Amino acid sequence: MSIDITVKGIAAFLSDAWQTPVEISEVAPASAGARRRNVLFTAYRDGEPMRLVATIIHHAGLQIMTVETEAATLRLAEDAGVAVAHVQAVCMDPAYVGGPFFVTNQIAGETVGRQILRLVEANAGLGPTIAHGIGESLAKLHAVDPALAHPALERPALGTTAIDAALAHVRAQLDVLLQPSPVFELAYAWLDSHRPQARQRLTVVHRDCRNGNIIVGPDGLRAILDWEVAHLGEPMEDLAWMCVRMWRFRNDELEVGGFAARDDLRAGYEAAGGAWDEPSFFWWKLYSTLRWGLGLAGQARAHLDGTFSSIVMAGSGRRVGELEYDCLMLLKNQFSPS
Amino acid sequence: MQDRPTAAELLREIADLLEGDVLMGAPAPVKHHVRVAANLARIVQRELEVGREANFRERALLGDLLGAEGSTAELNAEVAALLRANDDEAFARAAWPVLLAITLDKLSIDKPGHDAYDFSREQLA
Repeated sequence: MSIDITVKGIAAFLSDAWQTPVEISEVAPASAGARRRNVLFTAYRDGEPMRLVATIIHHAGLQIMTVETEAATLRLAEDAGVAVAHVQAVCMDPAYVGGPFFVTNQIAGETVGRQILRLVEANAGLGPTIAHGIGESLAKLHAVDPALAHPALERPALGTTAIDAALAHVRAQLDVLLQPSPVFELAYAWLDSHRPQARQRLTVVHRDCRNGNIIVGPDGLRAILDWEVAHLGEPMEDLAWMCVRMWRFRNDELEVGGFAARDDLRAGYEAAGGAWDEPSFFWWKLYSTLRWGLGLAGQARAHLDGTFSSIVMAGSGRRVGELEYDCLMLLKNQFSPS
Repeated sequence: MQDRPTAAELLREIADLLEGDVLMGAPAPVKHHVRVAANLARIVQRELEVGREANFRERALLGDLLGAEGSTAELNAEVAALLRANDDEAFARAAWPVLLAITLDKLSIDKPGHDAYDFSREQLA
């Protein structure tokens, strides 16, 4: 859909939602992915300028979670003190711009992973500050009463744990690989045999908090983005996902997104009341490495079967070996003690 | 027999062109795709150079591990099935170094240098 039609649709929706004529200017299409795109703009509400972002799902069928559930989760996180963009409006009606969307405040700062690393290089002490901020935000998120979560937020089936659900998730993806991966089977078998104790209480887990889904300024973390795969689960999943090697952009020595040490993340998490569990962290880190390896294989499959053809998705198939290597190395002491 | 340049030499030229003039002239939204395309051309170039040997090695390593013969695909499927059964610790231990050797060969084509990082701080004791 052309940007002009999109802008007209957003203006019409906000005018209806706010019951006052809204004008839009300074429109800039930002990132666009397979499922959604972001449009930056200024809305004039009663003459007052507001810098906003519309996150638009290309069409309703592509939603992993509905925009209503995602917006509710964002609001819940904001109320808990997590660094997130404030939600201004939610539109379920695809008539306005072709797909459902929600509108949040625009937050200035850097979002591109490699650019964040450049910003960190230019500002002494910034990396640990960002990691500390992420730790604090995640601790606040994990402290939220799960009963307050939107009822449609994904959660383990009754009688099963978040560990069971996580293993079932990767098992299903292992079963549809285009070619079997002995390495991923080895990793899965280890995870299955070394399940950590599931916690009594489920927590809201972002599940994709990484360098690439954060907004950062010279003052530190400003917001955690993209809540569309959030679910109720185990808190260490978020901390481990943040530390997977793939988000370090070759700054491998710095475990947290290539900009800070794990201790910086942990210090922020504990300062805000989070309880760090080391064996569980390791389990979730191997799990996260496997999950992303299977995700890349899934992208290649989507390219090959025509679901989403793109040279980037094709290239993902040739990145699977990196995650296989990372899985093997994480398990080195378990299989090949030196 | 084809005349020089070889297929690998041609792919190197294509990758150089993509990373040079094409990338410089590409509009912003396409730049990332051009970089990916150049990287994929280099992957194919390396696969043409060393892929055959790597496949022979993989087949031999898997065959030794299983004490069986078959195509690389069949042997991989068999090893994956045995590891999935998760009831033979000795087999898993024997498989680990074999899988590492095969994965290192894959990386030498798909992502040379990925194995340079020392994981020791991140391993479970």
